[in-house]
Amino acid sequence: MNKILEEKDFTRRIEEISDQKISDCYQCGRCTAGCPFAKFMDVPPNMVIRFIQLQLKDEVLAASGPWFCAACLVCQTRCPRGVDIPRLMEAVRVFHLRAKQGVIDVNNIDKEFMLDAPPLALMSAFSKYTY
Amino acid sequence: MKLSYYPGCTLYTKAKPLNTSLHASFRAIGAELNELAHWYCCGTTFTLARDNRMSLIAPLRILAKAQGEDSMVLVPCSICYNTLKRANYILKQDPEVLDIINEHLEESYDGNEKVVHPLEFFRDNKELIKSKLKKNLNGIKLACYYGCLLLRPQKELQFDDPESPTIFEAFVNLIGATPVDFPLKVECCGSYLVVNSPDAAIEVVYKLLRNAQGNGAEAIVTSCPLCYYNLDALQNKIKKVHAEFKEIPIFYFSQILAIALGVEEKNLGLEQNKVSPVNILREYNLL
Repeated sequence: MNKILEEKDFTRRIEEISDQKISDCYQCGRCTAGCPFAKFMDVPPNMVIRFIQLQLKDEVLAASGPWFCAACLVCQTRCPRGVDIPRLMEAVRVFHLRAKQGVIDVNNIDKEFMLDAPPLALMSAFSKYTY
Repeated sequence: MKLSYYPGCTLYTKAKPLNTSLHASFRAIGAELNELAHWYCCGTTFTLARDNRMSLIAPLRILAKAQGEDSMVLVPCSICYNTLKRANYILKQDPEVLDIINEHLEESYDGNEKVVHPLEFFRDNKELIKSKLKKNLNGIKLACYYGCLLLRPQKELQFDDPESPTIFEAFVNLIGATPVDFPLKVECCGSYLVVNSPDAAIEVVYKLLRNAQGNGAEAIVTSCPLCYYNLDALQNKIKKVHAEFKEIPIFYFSQILAIALGVEEKNLGLEQNKVSPVNILREYNLL
């Protein structure tokens, strides 16, 4: 597919998976301001959204932001435009996972930690990070 | 009084203290937790992809099994509570989904089961709790940690105000402890990031614990087994990064309640706490 069409299609897919209208965001940055994990991200939430708006598929897919999102929903609670940002982050993750690109290898998780952690920590991580 | 009860997987493994102390507390107030005959994993974190309906099957299958006389089910784990309640909400918005899901269930679900957290039950039964209190907690200073999943999304959960909730503090007050001011009580503990990005989880937990300690908390109470794990188990790692850090014990809300109700020590599950709460409890004459 032609690159421009492919990028347009990417933004449409993200809107579809998340059920959000990407143009609703007016880039106030409140999501990033309240995000407990923004400082660990190379591209914070509002920038991920800006990239999706601009149809910058490669930049979105290379960003670490969505993988640091713990779905705590603070941004969703505070967004003045009613954008469900965690759904957008999930859509980006899901886009990777459906292309069979996971970010964790179960074999690489520390065995001692596996035995110590509650099952719901592992199950949650597997559902967000593996396909 | 018999109450339908869905413990969820973690309460049978790593969060046993929550299960045993909750059972003991309900016995002490003259109620019985009636565990569902058949139950499964709720699927843990609720999927946020709108086009994925498969993940609704597990929570709705549980609710279908829970349908009975009282049309409510008590769910103490924050993650299960969030997942079951959100799945239920979707049905209210989109009845078509209910039809689709019902095709996959052994018995069809009517969509009317109410998911209730024990803190909501206690809020609605204040006088009953008050009349059964046996031990004076002597105003032990507790920071109430809500985390995310009981509160957000507020429209779907209707648990309390998502930014400044008070249900937990009211509960702690009711049983004779003192809730301290805790501005970070609704901030995330790092959740499942502990698996993939433990450094990020360690930093946010450090910030939370320091905030509680700075406001005079002698211990922290929570309801979520994942928050509990992060707040309790990561303290060891925090000490390696921040030498000045002093440990602070973490309780499940049900452990503190059980103490106040005079439940015997063996049912409190205190031995599973990584940061021992024994000293602080002795200091307040509670052990």
